[in-house]
Amino acid sequence: MAQVFTSPNPIGKKILCVEDEHFISELYVRALTKAGYEVTVEVDGGLALELAKSNQFDVILLDLMVPTMTGIEMLRHLRDPQETPQLRSKIIITTNLEQRDDIRADIENRADGYLVKAEITPRELVEFVNSIK
Amino acid sequence: MDHLQKFAAQFRTRMFLILFTNSMFILGAWWIADSFLIAEPELMLAFLISVSIISIAILGWLSAKYLIQPITYIWQSILHVSPETANTPAPNLKHVLFGRELVTALVSHVYQMANVVDAVEKTAGEKHHDLHTDFVANSLPLPLAVLDKDMNILFVNNALLKYTGRADADTAGQNVYSVLDMSFTNEHTFDRWLEKARADKITSSHLWERVRLNVPESNHPRLFDLVAYYNKNNPEGFEIMLVLFDRTRQYSQDDQAMSFVALAVHELRTPLTLLRGYIDVFEEELDGKLDDEMAGFMRKMKAAAQQLAAFTTNVLNVSRFENDQLVLSLQEEKWGPLLESAVNDMQLRAGVRGVKVTLKVDDALPAVGADAVSVYEVIVNLLDNAIKYSGKSKEIIVRSYLTKDGLIETTVQDFGTGIPESAMGNLFDKFYRDYHNRDKVGGTGMGLYISKAIVTAHGGNIWVRSKEGQGTTFGFTLVPYAKLADGQKKGDNADVTRTAHGWIKNHSMYRR
Repeated sequence: MAQVFTSPNPIGKKILCVEDEHFISELYVRALTKAGYEVTVEVDGGLALELAKSNQFDVILLDLMVPTMTGIEMLRHLRDPQETPQLRSKIIITTNLEQRDDIRADIENRADGYLVKAEITPRELVEFVNSIK
Repeated sequence: MDHLQKFAAQFRTRMFLILFTNSMFILGAWWIADSFLIAEPELMLAFLISVSIISIAILGWLSAKYLIQPITYIWQSILHVSPETANTPAPNLKHVLFGRELVTALVSHVYQMANVVDAVEKTAGEKHHDLHTDFVANSLPLPLAVLDKDMNILFVNNALLKYTGRADADTAGQNVYSVLDMSFTNEHTFDRWLEKARADKITSSHLWERVRLNVPESNHPRLFDLVAYYNKNNPEGFEIMLVLFDRTRQYSQDDQAMSFVALAVHELRTPLTLLRGYIDVFEEELDGKLDDEMAGFMRKMKAAAQQLAAFTTNVLNVSRFENDQLVLSLQEEKWGPLLESAVNDMQLRAGVRGVKVTLKVDDALPAVGADAVSVYEVIVNLLDNAIKYSGKSKEIIVRSYLTKDGLIETTVQDFGTGIPESAMGNLFDKFYRDYHNRDKVGGTGMGLYISKAIVTAHGGNIWVRSKEGQGTTFGFTLVPYAKLADGQKKGDNADVTRTAHGWIKNHSMYRR
């Protein structure tokens, strides 16, 4: 089940964090809610897809290795104009798994951003999310 | 037979008329001579023999041409259809004076037989041709396809049908991509080559490695090397020929080795993400609350985590480089800010060892063509090296300037232990470490190896100068963006902003 974390000083922006490593999502939630974002955490890919389709999120942080449906598959569903028309959310891939070149190119076509989790700290993540127009 | 009977009747009539005319002529001559000229019977006999000979000669001469005319026409028709005398005109049968039906029938038989011979020869020729192509093409144990100028399939051999999983499919006339769903490792694709070949070549051939074939209803793509041959305006219409060399097994083994490294790095990165996350939290929450010693430990811990992150990236890049998967995307970058951000990120790691990094960048450097993520790793590796080998010296100087050749050169200079002459030649080899320092300084020998690969892929050079006891300077050049060959620029991704740790799209320009 998805968990929703509100911000003590909300700026009115919502983030969906698809992440199955609880310790990582805990750190991200802490930093992002502090910065004013409301964060919904979902560990299951299939459920996360349904949530994402509700189109209520400004940003989706998408881990590629999550249960029931991989991030790549979710990305395909979310970028299918027939299945998900007019998705307003910006999709940022957050991963620690290095991709093959063809998958890399696929991600570059469909996603709005890409981050290697080990390369950034939670505060750097907040800076990155703040920079999304 | 009707024509023959009619001809015989006509012939008989004409022979009768000729012989009758001849007899009348001789009788007439005898009557005239008997009545008015000759009395003696001996003389009369001699006269009549002479007249008969003359009359037969004249009539024979006049009628021979007439009687053999049908044979002349038939002979002319035979000459007309014979290959050696094909210049002989066809007989004009309107001028046949008798036996026209028989002559016309015989001539048309000649023509028909000639046609039959032609057809037989042609079929025999084609059979011979088919035998060749069938045997070579179908028995060739390599998938082969022949395409016309519109890239539609003219011929595919059995090996190709089998390879693409379409054993029973009728592929003739289909576009090549509907049969061969190929993806290439970079932008130098078959289409692009063909476009260029069509523009300025009569014949051309090319090899692509690691082409991926997506097979319908199969989750296992095939990997192969592709060879293409192009022949402009081939008379048979065979404009393009493709031959596939299956390499699925070899390339999959490489991929598995690569994915093992990727998985191992993933396992390293997950706890690393957490460590860096917690350090980040502590740093924020404990800011100003720690004594100097604790604050120092905190910085060292953070530096160690950064170092580990850089190491995992090196491992991945070495693996990618060795599997030909290190594909860079060179974009127009301002070099000063990029260099400054990398140096700033390394100040922490230098600082915990008491080393200060000074940056001196010339003004007005032109924009470089660089892959920001990769080139950041080069700077990190060179600085990491300089920090490790600084010894007692506490200063590192990073400079960047324009060379006489118009390249942007960046140097990292330390004043530490230096590198012995004997080791200089091997520095950029994989896993090479200076044996003098092997026990004193940690490291894997991957940093310089991958740095060289990255700089070379940028079209630049990397070099080293060193003197034992006085320090070492590493330098590398980058090419100004304006001087990059068009093929190296990644123009179609101009809306992507790359940072050291990822990328983001410019949303105002971004449309799917």
